[in-house]
Amino acid sequence: MSAIRFRRHAGLLVLLSAFSFQSAYAHGVVGDRFFPATITSDDPFAADELALPTVTLGNHEEDYDFEYTKSIFPHVAISFAGGYIDAHPGPDASGWDNFEITPMWQFLTDDASEFVASAALSFEIGGSGARAVADTATTYTPEILFGKGFGDLPDSMALLRPVAVTGVIGYAIPGTSTESKAVQWSGALEYSLLYLQNNVRDQGFSKFVAHLTPLVEFSMRSPTDAGGTTGTIDPGLIWSGQYVQLAAEAVIPVNHASGSNIGIVMQLHFYIDDIFPHSLGTPIFGGSH
Amino acid sequence: MKTCTLALAVAMLAAPASAHAFLDHASPAAGENFRSPPARVELHFTEALEPAFSGVTVTDDGGRDMAAGDVAVVGAEMDLPLKPLAPGRYRVSWHAVSVDTHRTEGKYNFLILPR
Repeated sequence: MSAIRFRRHAGLLVLLSAFSFQSAYAHGVVGDRFFPATITSDDPFAADELALPTVTLGNHEEDYDFEYTKSIFPHVAISFAGGYIDAHPGPDASGWDNFEITPMWQFLTDDASEFVASAALSFEIGGSGARAVADTATTYTPEILFGKGFGDLPDSMALLRPVAVTGVIGYAIPGTSTESKAVQWSGALEYSLLYLQNNVRDQGFSKFVAHLTPLVEFSMRSPTDAGGTTGTIDPGLIWSGQYVQLAAEAVIPVNHASGSNIGIVMQLHFYIDDIFPHSLGTPIFGGSH
Repeated sequence: MKTCTLALAVAMLAAPASAHAFLDHASPAAGENFRSPPARVELHFTEALEPAFSGVTVTDDGGRDMAAGDVAVVGAEMDLPLKPLAPGRYRVSWHAVSVDTHRTEGKYNFLILPR
């Protein structure tokens, strides 16, 4: 399984939520900071959102993924992810990848320090995808996720206040002895032009430019039993609107074992809590934060 | 998948949505320097605000409140009259709740230079 495929976080639109006429709560907002949803690494927010589609081109395959995250309680959500792999050469290496379910608890949100932390447990359900491309054994991955904005830096470092980082560390445990356990570590380094414009120094950016976030993501997998680390480094750009965000990143393998070609990943992401603030965008139980 | 994306896009356009109120532009703006002190702070947001739960303060370096009156919140705008400002650094701190109860907040500084 390649690094790009391995870190796929896409989803299946499951309209299971009961409608609730209570207030919505924030996606990606911690204090003064707005964190856009990252692509190749998970972000730490348990919010109502939909990534559809995420398209990855390169490394001799195209992936078409989707991910739907539904809040159950405030700060508790479940994501449903899946995708289709169109690998080359030939149709024998194509098909649906395994279905993935990930409950997440956003257990810490500190507005003053722009810090957020979450715990998740991912289940990649073995055998739910096509035999040609998907594992037959279920993989369990407990994860810790975090995000930190640097708006609390001193005045002498004001131009670094728009910087934020997110990170995920997980331990993948396959349900079979034929596959290696692995540490999965991924994250993002972001520079928010919106934060620069509104909180540090007005640069006179246009509305479009002010909503751009240049970033570099990385996504790594380090087997603990056998084999070396594989992964990608993914520099790119996210544009965050009021209801959707668009993103594109290059996908650069970190070594030969990770792939030989530079790919590209693109994503259309919907902020469900803003699109349906009184129904689908709120937790099923408990309303707003 | 294209069909799903298109259907959601249509639903998004049809939904009576409103979103987080982000700061669109401000006067004084973040990091702005003045020789003539501004008489008021005006904040313009991307969404209409809930007046009862939205507000702005302006304080000097000593934390003293520089408001000369009450905050006016109308539509997507906040307006706060200011006392005469001496040279120094001032902090604008705002919080906004959009009409669908999404909360956002922010702060920034501006500077009054000696004449």
